[in-house]
Amino acid sequence: MNLRQKLLLLLSLLVAVIVAAVAWTVLLRIRHVFEQRDQEETALFVSQFQREFQHRSAEVAAAVEHIAAGERARNIAFELAQSGDAAPYLTEAQALAQDAQLDFLEIVGPDGNIVSSAQWPARFGYPEPAATATQSTFLQSEDLPDGTAALGLFAVRAVRRSDPGGAQAVRIVGGKRLDQSFLADLPAAPGMTISLYSDSGPNANTATSPQPATPAFDPARLVSTAGSVTGTARYQPLIDSARKTGQASSGILYLTDRREDSVSATAIPLKSESGSVLAVLTVAISRSGMVEAQQHIRAIAYGVAAGGILLAILASLWIAARVSGPIEQLAQAAEQVAGGNWEARVPERGRDEIGALARSFNHMTGELVAQRDRLVQTERVAAWRELARRLAHELKNPLFPLQLTVENLMRARDLPAAEFDEVFRESTQTLCMEIANLKTIIGRFSDFSRMPKPQLERIDINDALRRVAQFYFPATARASQATADDPSSESKIKCTLGVTSDPLFIDVDPELLHRALSNLVLNAMDAMPDGGTLTLSAQPKGETAELRVADTGEGLTPEECERLFTPYYTTKQHGTGLGLAIVQSVVADHHGDIAVESRVGGGATFVITLPRADETAS
Amino acid sequence: MLRQIAISFLVAVLLLPAAARTRPHYGGTLRVEVEGDPWQRPGGLARQMVLDGLTAMGTDGTAGPALAVEWNSDNDNHRWQFRLRPGVHFQDGTPLSSANVVASLTAICGAGCPWTALHAVGSSVVFTSDSPLPNLPELLAGDDYRIALAGAGSPTGAPASIGTGPFQFTAFSNGVLTLAANDNCWQGRPFLDEVEIRVHRSMRDQWLDLSVGRADLVEVPAEQLRQAHEQRLTVVASPPVSLLAITVSDSGALSNPNLRAAIAFAVDRSAISNVIFQKQGEITASLLPAELTGYSFLFSPDRDQNKAHELRGGVTPPLLTLTVEGGPAMQLAAQRIALNLRDAGFNVQVASAGAPQHVDLALRRLTLESSQPQPALESILRAAGLAVPVMEQSPEGLYKVERQVLDTHMIIPLLYLPRACAVGGRVRDLLLSPDGAPQLAGVSLEDAP
Repeated sequence: MNLRQKLLLLLSLLVAVIVAAVAWTVLLRIRHVFEQRDQEETALFVSQFQREFQHRSAEVAAAVEHIAAGERARNIAFELAQSGDAAPYLTEAQALAQDAQLDFLEIVGPDGNIVSSAQWPARFGYPEPAATATQSTFLQSEDLPDGTAALGLFAVRAVRRSDPGGAQAVRIVGGKRLDQSFLADLPAAPGMTISLYSDSGPNANTATSPQPATPAFDPARLVSTAGSVTGTARYQPLIDSARKTGQASSGILYLTDRREDSVSATAIPLKSESGSVLAVLTVAISRSGMVEAQQHIRAIAYGVAAGGILLAILASLWIAARVSGPIEQLAQAAEQVAGGNWEARVPERGRDEIGALARSFNHMTGELVAQRDRLVQTERVAAWRELARRLAHELKNPLFPLQLTVENLMRARDLPAAEFDEVFRESTQTLCMEIANLKTIIGRFSDFSRMPKPQLERIDINDALRRVAQFYFPATARASQATADDPSSESKIKCTLGVTSDPLFIDVDPELLHRALSNLVLNAMDAMPDGGTLTLSAQPKGETAELRVADTGEGLTPEECERLFTPYYTTKQHGTGLGLAIVQSVVADHHGDIAVESRVGGGATFVITLPRADETAS
Repeated sequence: MLRQIAISFLVAVLLLPAAARTRPHYGGTLRVEVEGDPWQRPGGLARQMVLDGLTAMGTDGTAGPALAVEWNSDNDNHRWQFRLRPGVHFQDGTPLSSANVVASLTAICGAGCPWTALHAVGSSVVFTSDSPLPNLPELLAGDDYRIALAGAGSPTGAPASIGTGPFQFTAFSNGVLTLAANDNCWQGRPFLDEVEIRVHRSMRDQWLDLSVGRADLVEVPAEQLRQAHEQRLTVVASPPVSLLAITVSDSGALSNPNLRAAIAFAVDRSAISNVIFQKQGEITASLLPAELTGYSFLFSPDRDQNKAHELRGGVTPPLLTLTVEGGPAMQLAAQRIALNLRDAGFNVQVASAGAPQHVDLALRRLTLESSQPQPALESILRAAGLAVPVMEQSPEGLYKVERQVLDTHMIIPLLYLPRACAVGGRVRDLLLSPDGAPQLAGVSLEDAP
């Protein structure tokens, strides 16, 4: 990843993080505000509900009180006390309930049994426990003839009798339903849904199917002012909690998979006189407004983030143009310099650090080029000096005998003819020999200056080694990998040939390779004037083939090793210093490498590494 | 002397109107209000006034001549021949013929007739049956077998409205059915010129109309007899003539006879009688009243919840359906029975009759159409939809049959109830038929011209 990409990523991330942080903070704040508003609305509704509940309680109590104090009830009480016959009053409760607009009304006799019931007329004669209630008003689940039960707000009043000495009084138990009409009268705020869950329902009062302490949640028993409630099953945890603990519980309910359909709900238990939870009032405030606001803000955040990322891209492009561009140019120029192109330059813009860096780079490359040129010039001068020295040295050796011979000839002109002839013959022989020596020297320099271009052929490197060995150590070549003495050599040099069993092909010019190997062999032989072992070996090494020419001579010093391949450098008495230079030139022309491993007294090993031939190619 | 003659004349003048009031006057319109359909069977008031049967139940409980003047049975009561009264005409002038009678009776009961075949033979109709029909004359006196002119419908939807009775249908408008006197009735012309029957009138409105003089005859249900007396209405009540009973299905959840027996033990008859029917009924556990048999006490009407639980044996049957037809008292009685059964471990749902569902229990009011034990038992069993077994003509045989029927617990008798009506001050000579229906043919009005 380059600097531009890093900058782009960094700026985009930075913008996204900032926008996300701002959006999250705003969303959190909105949520907090809405939740606070919901809590306030719920608290307000609860207080209004309590007032309405108290108002209804007062209404019921007043209605029951009115009935109990009425003449009809007093007559019933009197006649019951006189005759004990409750039959004539079977339908009285219905008439009284209708007049008082009560949903429930029962006349309970002195024995605690129902004389007349408006809501369940057939229950006459059955005991009514509510008649002994101590509270002025209370909640009660009232059984109904159809097998269901209804939640009601009840009050009990004793009928005032004219004879205060009566032992037991007739009681009036009256009540009003807490149902949908009751919910409809509650002051619900917009977006608020008021529901009532009651355990009353089918078979609620079946004698043969006793209900558990907390019956299982039944969604059908949750009703609201609009009838059915959406997602009733989602209310179960809250309602169950309120039913079990008797405490109000709140939570967020997701009525459908859409977040807009979530509500902030509170379940308020409604308890009977004994404290058991008879019903649960739920107040659900729609969160659609909050969710819509959040979605709106989220959409804005996405837009801002997208815009910010776009700006980040533009900014990164601008910054890249101002910062990373010059740096990239510097990096490319540095790579060119590393690749050998010391002429690489970068534009110098501005006066900032990047501009200074560019100027420094250009100055550095300029200095490098100047130093290289100076070095080349110095080396060239040094080479010419060395060449001149070598030439002078090489030519001086034959010239001295030539000079002596010519002087002898000049002195011998005064000698007798016979002696002169003898001197002349010997002198001419010397002159010819030294001239030949001069030719040889000149030929060597000429050969070094005219190295031919390699004519590549695919050969087995083992064959090349055998050819060299056969040339210099015929017995060794015949014995292949055996060791033999050189019969032609007067010294006691042993040659060891190490070749591979499988062919090891390389693409080389055979003659140039033979010439290079010959130079190395001759050098090795020169290095072992008192005899030793010469080892020629080849072995594959990855994608290359490695040839080793090792001797057991005196070895080389590190300084000698460093200058060994410099042209005209030699450690021999009569060497030209061109042998190893030629070897290095041949190896370089074959895209190979040559190195020397040596230590003083431990011999020297020349290692030639050449690329192996692609055997898949024809 | 002259003074004595004058006084005597004055006394005679004063006594003459009094003597005249003892004789019924012809004319006038009787205004009747009913809660149900006057054509309903059995017991519809219009039906009883317009149509006659082949026989009629006498005050002694035996069948007497009506459209048939005489009858005889052959082949050990397997064949009956009824000779028709000559000279009788339907209200539209069609002569009564044996073919008309056969067509009417066939239309009434179709394939469910107690007899096997019915033929017209001259001026007689001949009934044949695979099983003996010893009480066929009493059976034919029942309200179900009144003779109507076949094919004659009425605007009120009644299947047949032309008969041979003392009144004939003339109009039905605005909820008022008008019947006019049949001048050519074989029994003689009734005293009344017209009878106006206002139908589907609530009991409260009937009593209100009677109290303000807009009605002359209104219904008084048994449960309101006490209230009617308290309000000092002129009430004419019959002896107990209708049996309040529960018919129990022997299929479905109640195919178990022990569960049916448990239901019989679970019902509290006294509460129903004393409170709902205001002590106007007679508690019974037998099908026939004690006046007819004398052995009614052998069937215990007491509630025994422990026995009911024991018979139920811990089995909780599925929700049972108790259907009921009738007014508020019947509905209330059904709810009370449901409550009793709930106490005994049954789940019972009260539904109106005619609901499209399987009926496990039905609270019904069965009319006692005869004061003779055997015909009465037959009529009750037929009305309850139960098979009528062959019974011996002896009290022991009757008891055996009744015991056999009650032991199946497919019918649970509860109460015997009277039938009553209240009349206004201008109505005279109102009598009730043995089934408790008012006999308007003999009624006259005080202020008739």
